[in-house]
Amino acid sequence: MMISSKLKKGITAALAVGMTTMMLVGCGGGGDKKAAGDSKTLKFGVTNFADTLEPTQNYFAWVVMRYGMGETLVKFDEKMRSTPWLAESWQVSDDHLTWTFKIRDNVKFSNGNPVTAEAVKKSFERVFEKQNRAKTFFEYTEMKAEGQVLTITTKKPVATLPGQLADPLWLVVDVTAEKDRDFAKQGPICTGPYMCESFTRDKAVMKKNPNYWGGPNKVEVPFETVEIPSIDDPNTRAMALQSGEVDMAVNIAAGDIGLFRNNDKFHVDEISSLRDVLARVNQRPDHILSDKKVREALICALDRKNYNEVVLKGTFKEGSAPVPPSLDFGFDQIKNPDAYNVERANKLLDEAGWKDTDGDGIRDKDGKPLSLDFVVYNSRAELPIYAEASQADAKKVGIDIKIKTVDYNLLDKMGINGEYDLLISNITTAATGDPQSFLKGYWYSNPDGGNPQNGSGYSNPQYDALWDQLEGEFDPAKRRDLIIQLQQIIMDDSATIIYGYPITNLISSTKIKGAIMHPSDYYWLTDTIAPAK
Amino acid sequence: MGKHDDKFMFRVYSGIVIFIVLVAAIGPFLCTADPYNSNMANSLLAPSADHWFGTDKLGRDCFTRIIYGARVSLSMTIATVVIMSCVGTLIGIISGYCGGWIEMVLMRFTDMMMAFPGIVLAIAIAGVLGGSVVNTVLALAIVGWTKYARLGRSLTIKLKHSEFIAAAVTNGTKPFPLLYRHIVPNIFPLVVVTAAMDIGSMIMEIAGLSFLGFGAQPPTAEWGLMLNEGRQVLQTAPWAMIFPGLAILFVVATFNLWGDALRDIMDPSKSA
Repeated sequence: MMISSKLKKGITAALAVGMTTMMLVGCGGGGDKKAAGDSKTLKFGVTNFADTLEPTQNYFAWVVMRYGMGETLVKFDEKMRSTPWLAESWQVSDDHLTWTFKIRDNVKFSNGNPVTAEAVKKSFERVFEKQNRAKTFFEYTEMKAEGQVLTITTKKPVATLPGQLADPLWLVVDVTAEKDRDFAKQGPICTGPYMCESFTRDKAVMKKNPNYWGGPNKVEVPFETVEIPSIDDPNTRAMALQSGEVDMAVNIAAGDIGLFRNNDKFHVDEISSLRDVLARVNQRPDHILSDKKVREALICALDRKNYNEVVLKGTFKEGSAPVPPSLDFGFDQIKNPDAYNVERANKLLDEAGWKDTDGDGIRDKDGKPLSLDFVVYNSRAELPIYAEASQADAKKVGIDIKIKTVDYNLLDKMGINGEYDLLISNITTAATGDPQSFLKGYWYSNPDGGNPQNGSGYSNPQYDALWDQLEGEFDPAKRRDLIIQLQQIIMDDSATIIYGYPITNLISSTKIKGAIMHPSDYYWLTDTIAPAK
Repeated sequence: MGKHDDKFMFRVYSGIVIFIVLVAAIGPFLCTADPYNSNMANSLLAPSADHWFGTDKLGRDCFTRIIYGARVSLSMTIATVVIMSCVGTLIGIISGYCGGWIEMVLMRFTDMMMAFPGIVLAIAIAGVLGGSVVNTVLALAIVGWTKYARLGRSLTIKLKHSEFIAAAVTNGTKPFPLLYRHIVPNIFPLVVVTAAMDIGSMIMEIAGLSFLGFGAQPPTAEWGLMLNEGRQVLQTAPWAMIFPGLAILFVVATFNLWGDALRDIMDPSKSA
């Protein structure tokens, strides 16, 4: 009796572990009892960052588009070329300033109002009024609407205007509907196959849009209702998919993707995305990495092929040039001077005067250890993995990496203020189908705070001159050439560590069909996703 | 008969505790592998003769990391328990002995600290200080000392009114020697028992903070951190999570049982 009472604590602990295990296994095993299954309702597990559905607020327009509500004049195809969506066609004047868009005449908003050029113009004006970011796309001197023809005259020539207008920020809303509807809470009135029934940060419910124009392929809206729970944790998302709680889910992480590949209950659609995982490298004069030899050595020491193919199970492609291979900007012809080479890394560090004099395994110089702060945020599962893998590899050549985990909002500020040696993030390179603005962000000189994103102190006059040339260039072949030259400069200066290119995925139960991931992550819920039978 | 059973169980648990402490102390010298040596080609290998507990995502040997983790977890725990019991007891003795406004200020401050839910306050403190081994110890000590202050105070007050203390005072013993020679030695056993019973829960809380990212930082071999790293591959490589979990379970259960057994043999009500 004595013994049993004293063992109680131990047994309780054992039971707790046992029950937790059973709970987890239970989730994984999954029965069909709570499955969505029926052909009228689709359940879609997503990650969501939006607090409201107001498209001009923050980047919330992305969510309005991802959830099948908003549509723009122009859509990117699977090769990121601009194709007609709400606009039927477009052309630019000879002086490259005036663009004419012909709006389709069969499109209606979900409340039945027709989409005229006037309605599009009002919608664009609303964007300029409410979101400062609008000006970074283009500035106009005049916008005219006549029937279904919209004419935009820009201040400066904007070579990529159609691509710019494919950004979700420019999704067309019915401004006249705003007087008796709160777009933020009830969702805007748009033209997509679904319209908002209810929305909170945790869950959105979409209903079929009765006035849907059918898209370019003239299809019926396949589902009556789409329930979209936000499941931000990737492991939980995978479990929800396994248990049948959702019919499809985005971005299943490396640790779980093996459960769905080669599994006849699921369809895995993977595509190389437009994103980069890269680490900004602080080159300000008071930082260790201002020495190019140390930068080269560091990059050489990192076995990026292993990180992407082995550790991340091929859910990322090995990084090299700044613009990912999913875009046609010379990926294969850009030379990588800092390929993995431990010997070279050691040699470069010796040359730079960093030697391990005190025998602690970390190189030092003038009494200072070769120690770098690596800033990382946790909400993307791969970032800490890259950071830790780099830490392990760098140690092998005598570089000490200290990982600092911070919140994403803080990370942005630290990047701008240059409070790091290395700072890793996962960013999109071609939101507008073209890497022009991406190539400005982290590399164009920032002497007086005019380009705040470049907090690394990197500055190369040759680079700046080429970028300025790119901004005014309309000829696609010449643009491509300039973009290749710009990338080569970044590579030759060892200015940034490009870790890898995410392969995004959309995994769906075989009960549904047509779930396809696009390279640009704007198009998740589309009218092609339908019941399998 | 109860007393004999108590002593027997106490010896058994003490044996296991000594075993754990030995593993922490000399285990690292016996392990041939390096817990921080990553070989990414061996990422997430299943348990085998080469890797008894498998490997983690960076190809590090989980068995070696768990052995090294014992050292990290135990030293953090002992540091936490020592700091909070010493500081708490000292505050308790001072307020119990001095009484008056000193007691009031100290005890109201203690009450205030106790009003916060413990682990939440610890997370907040660790979050503000930034995640590291030292900050975790500090955060938990800041949260945990209040219990000892209460205990120290009530025991001191009880002793203060006992006859041998009155005798010592009458004989002219000065306050400091009085505390040092008479009060502290009498309080000591109970504080030690309380501290021993706290070890298990402190191991849990340290692992918990590391699991949440507020404690030990990568690449430290710490059990809570290993659990968090294994969480992402729970379904495809469960060993990365199971073995650190079992290590925590084993050590926490052992220390809890040992603490209970220690209390039982020290309990004066049972010695009758």
